[in-house]
Amino acid sequence: MDAFSILLPIAVASFFVGATLSVVDRRWAYGASLVGAALLVLVAIRVIVVGSVTGGGWSGPFGEPEGLSMDPLSAFFALAAGGVWIATSTYSIYYDDRPSPLLALTYAVTLGSIALLLTASSFLLFLVGWEAMTLGSFGMILQASGRPMRVFSAAFVFLAFGEASTLFVFLAVAGLRVASGTFAMVPVALSVPLAGFVFVSGLIGFGLKMGVAPFHMSEWLPIAHSSAPSNASAVLSSTLTLAGAYGLFRLISVLPTPPVWWGGVMLSIGAISALLGALFASVSEHSKGLPAYSTIENNGLILVALGVALVARSESLDVLYVFALFAAFYQALAHAVAKTALFLSAGYVEHATHTFDLNVVRGRAKDDAREAMIGAIVAPLSLAAAPPLAGFVSEWMILEALFQSFRFSPPAMQFVGLLAGAAVALAAGLVLVAMVKYIAFSTLWRPSAVEAGDRPPGLGTVLVALAGTIAAIGIAAPWILRFLTPSVSAFAHLPVTAPVSGLLLIPQGWSIVSGSPFGILSPPAVPIGLGVGALLGLVYYGMGRNRVTRRTVPWMAGSAPGVPGETYGSFGYSTGIRVMLRSVLRTREVRARSGPVTRAELLTPVAYNVELEVLDPFKVFYDALVRFATATSAAMKQGIMPGRIGRYLAYLLVATLVVVVYIALAV
Amino acid sequence: MMDPSVKTRIPSDGEPSRILAYWSPDDVVAVWNNLAKGGTEIERAPQSPGAAHLRAAWLGPPSAPRLRRVAPLEQVDGYGVFTFPYGPISMGVPEAGRFDVRTYGERVLDISPEVGFKARRILSSVAGLTIEDAALRIERLAGPFSAAHVSAFLAATESAAGRGISAREAWIRALAQELQRIYNHIHVVARVAEAASQNVGLAQAHALAEDVLRLMGSTFGHRWLFGAFLPGGPPTRLGPDDRVALAGTLGRLSKEFERLWSTFQTSRTFLDRIQTTCGVSREETLRWGAVGPTLRATGVAWDDRLRSPVPPYTDLFLPLATESSGDALGRVLVRVLEVRSSFLLLEQMLERWPASGSTQLPASEAIAPGRGVARVESPSGDLVYDVSVHDGRVGRVSARTASDANWPLFALGMRDAVFTDFHFAWESFGILFAETDR
Repeated sequence: MDAFSILLPIAVASFFVGATLSVVDRRWAYGASLVGAALLVLVAIRVIVVGSVTGGGWSGPFGEPEGLSMDPLSAFFALAAGGVWIATSTYSIYYDDRPSPLLALTYAVTLGSIALLLTASSFLLFLVGWEAMTLGSFGMILQASGRPMRVFSAAFVFLAFGEASTLFVFLAVAGLRVASGTFAMVPVALSVPLAGFVFVSGLIGFGLKMGVAPFHMSEWLPIAHSSAPSNASAVLSSTLTLAGAYGLFRLISVLPTPPVWWGGVMLSIGAISALLGALFASVSEHSKGLPAYSTIENNGLILVALGVALVARSESLDVLYVFALFAAFYQALAHAVAKTALFLSAGYVEHATHTFDLNVVRGRAKDDAREAMIGAIVAPLSLAAAPPLAGFVSEWMILEALFQSFRFSPPAMQFVGLLAGAAVALAAGLVLVAMVKYIAFSTLWRPSAVEAGDRPPGLGTVLVALAGTIAAIGIAAPWILRFLTPSVSAFAHLPVTAPVSGLLLIPQGWSIVSGSPFGILSPPAVPIGLGVGALLGLVYYGMGRNRVTRRTVPWMAGSAPGVPGETYGSFGYSTGIRVMLRSVLRTREVRARSGPVTRAELLTPVAYNVELEVLDPFKVFYDALVRFATATSAAMKQGIMPGRIGRYLAYLLVATLVVVVYIALAV
Repeated sequence: MMDPSVKTRIPSDGEPSRILAYWSPDDVVAVWNNLAKGGTEIERAPQSPGAAHLRAAWLGPPSAPRLRRVAPLEQVDGYGVFTFPYGPISMGVPEAGRFDVRTYGERVLDISPEVGFKARRILSSVAGLTIEDAALRIERLAGPFSAAHVSAFLAATESAAGRGISAREAWIRALAQELQRIYNHIHVVARVAEAASQNVGLAQAHALAEDVLRLMGSTFGHRWLFGAFLPGGPPTRLGPDDRVALAGTLGRLSKEFERLWSTFQTSRTFLDRIQTTCGVSREETLRWGAVGPTLRATGVAWDDRLRSPVPPYTDLFLPLATESSGDALGRVLVRVLEVRSSFLLLEQMLERWPASGSTQLPASEAIAPGRGVARVESPSGDLVYDVSVHDGRVGRVSARTASDANWPLFALGMRDAVFTDFHFAWESFGILFAETDR
């Protein structure tokens, strides 16, 4: 047993110890979480570089060995999650100034639970961590500010989706256990129908947590509706969904070679999620709702990459299989880091302006927040796939993988790949709209209005560090891909090599290649090219004689500039999309007269209010489902439960008989 | 108190009393006098929401505050709603005028044209001048409509002075007006084509409009007809050979126009962009006192040349152009039909050109001693001048232009349109800021 075998349980325990100490002082919880996250990162790096670590074990309730362990696959997710938590925990020490320790407690429990499921050696312990994570997150959402009923409603929506997720994950694990007789995370030989059942259950269960369509309500609703605390939003959106992705990766890694339809289904769901998420992000005016929708898009992209990988695997397209896997891993990493930075910057906006409304936020900030602005600009730029940042590399890899769907042999699958490619490209465009809007209306503030001391003091440092990480992940992509090779290898149960090469003047190993050969991109060359261009510009500027900077007021078409209310707001910025895509967004204009109207009316101005609403068709479905469930529940309550004991006993009898018959058939 | 019978003496076209812009000069003067005395009777007139607009635009006494905003009849607010200023110096606004657009982005919830950036005071500057000198300024008020403005002004002064003109003079004015109508209508088609990026058609339409301008230049000595109506002007030398040549050129231009329009008719891109764009209803055009192609595009058969005709229109055949859709396409179609009818009128005029020394036409009756009112169908619709003359010099001059009357319809039509419809809508109305900023 080496030192890392001891560090692993210490890392996981740190979170729970911190949760306990939160009663003494909430900063202990964040401090302990910081330590736990750092240890987790340390162990994860060691596992990826050297090999798996096992830390502690005991006999489980079914007589199987249980314990903590980390292989290169879980190490990748632990590394991403731990890195994110270092930032969020540091930020939380300054951010959380509430008198109650509950936010700190639930925060630490959530992180500990995710750490537990990432390091669980068996699916049983994984399930324990999974459920604890749901409960911890539920507690975090309850700490949101706002009207209590709205907060409760959002938290219970989360819980409902979370428990549905647990149910489906349980079904998947049960299927595995039935076939293999063990909870261990090892490859299992399953019959085709059972494998299909496990796959579908797992896809629904983990998809629920990732917030992919049609379950995306589970992602954006609790964050946007409850206006969850910013540290909680960051954890929910980046690492909770990362846990969902880990579950899916882990499950697929133990399943046999997939039939082609698995990949097709995953590809389709991913593409629809990416498009829907991007579309709703582009028309969201909520400073946290917009990033939450963007998470749906990004998780959709992970599914797309994984879907291409599965189809490629079933078609024995090994090069594409490995490349798509790398794309999926890279997408998960790029998103986790960028989304954390985005939510933390949203926290700053909230802290400074006391609003989540992007239409109101504009034009309010201090100009001493420049370092915070760096992070708050770099993160959305990365999510908008701007070079040379992390999101650019992952988006390029996913599109390159999709471009190669012509290699699939079933025409139907080629067609799915084609449509998915179009959807992902469209999503990329829409996300650009969303992120430009976010930057313009929440970050590029005019220096004014906010009082000194409003800015959490640690935020600037954390955001600068995250911005640097985002840039580094983008620029150093070829080396990071090589570093991640053991993780991909652990997933694929194959020795793989990173898809890196060189070309012309670019040194060997500096470029990513997407095929044999297909496309090529050198992430380090991008900033070098940009740097040379900037240098040339500077030289040219230096040679000029009249280096006069002219400052002037913006041209307002000949009118007096700066008239309040005469500029585009964030709502107006994306109304074009609301109007153009009204058939998809179900855009609807609601007008109400607000002024008195008399018969001589037309000489008197008529005042009216207008609201432009968009509608998520899936939310309409869920609302109807909730109404149906509530009505059925009320009918059951009135028809069976109250008063008449005979009727109630009859109900119990019938229910018992159904269960007995089911068990008899199952056995 | 205003004579209540005013409301019953309005010319009828099956829409009694509703066509505000067509109140007879007597009625208008009665209302004006009443308002000048502080009366508010017009506001109580039924179906007259345009009254306030007209009062401000035309009837308002010179001391009244300048008209700045046109028809802000609704106050719209809501989440994300803001005012987007468009103009006075922006792409697509060819003159110095500004529009305040209430919007939540993309869609126009309400648009309020704001005029008065160029306070030129041309009308007030002519007081005290001789009629000839005043005419030189009046014709520069709105260059593209110079023939209509100067004709209406001169007719009003002649009415005020009780002076008749020769038939030949009346025909020369009509000849100029019809040529200028052809130019303006083709120009509107070109501008709409420009908005639809129909570049080939645009170039051809501009070339054709330029040919018409050159024809006016060669016939009247000035392409904008400046100075053409003064005694001894170039058209008095329009001999038989000149008329034959002119008729030949007009025949060629007519054919070219037909060929051009048939090209536009085959372009779905062009037609789709103007069909259903910026539509106004018949009820709205009547209620707000619309004039010209804007009115006729909603099926109202009213044209000054037919409804209150003066020579030579009394002696010529003029088909009346109407459409029923009320949208930009309808307005363009009315203009196309009017180009044809103007070519037809010109052909008739040149065939029946009065000989020199022709009969003297009687002056129309003055509405008050030394004060005359005259109306002319300008390219964009009814134009009215109210002029007083004392001792051969011009006194007070008021005008109600077609643009004055049509502003509210543009504002109404633009409601619920999208920004990209703006240029099609704007050009199809043929409104000139210059006619309002006078």
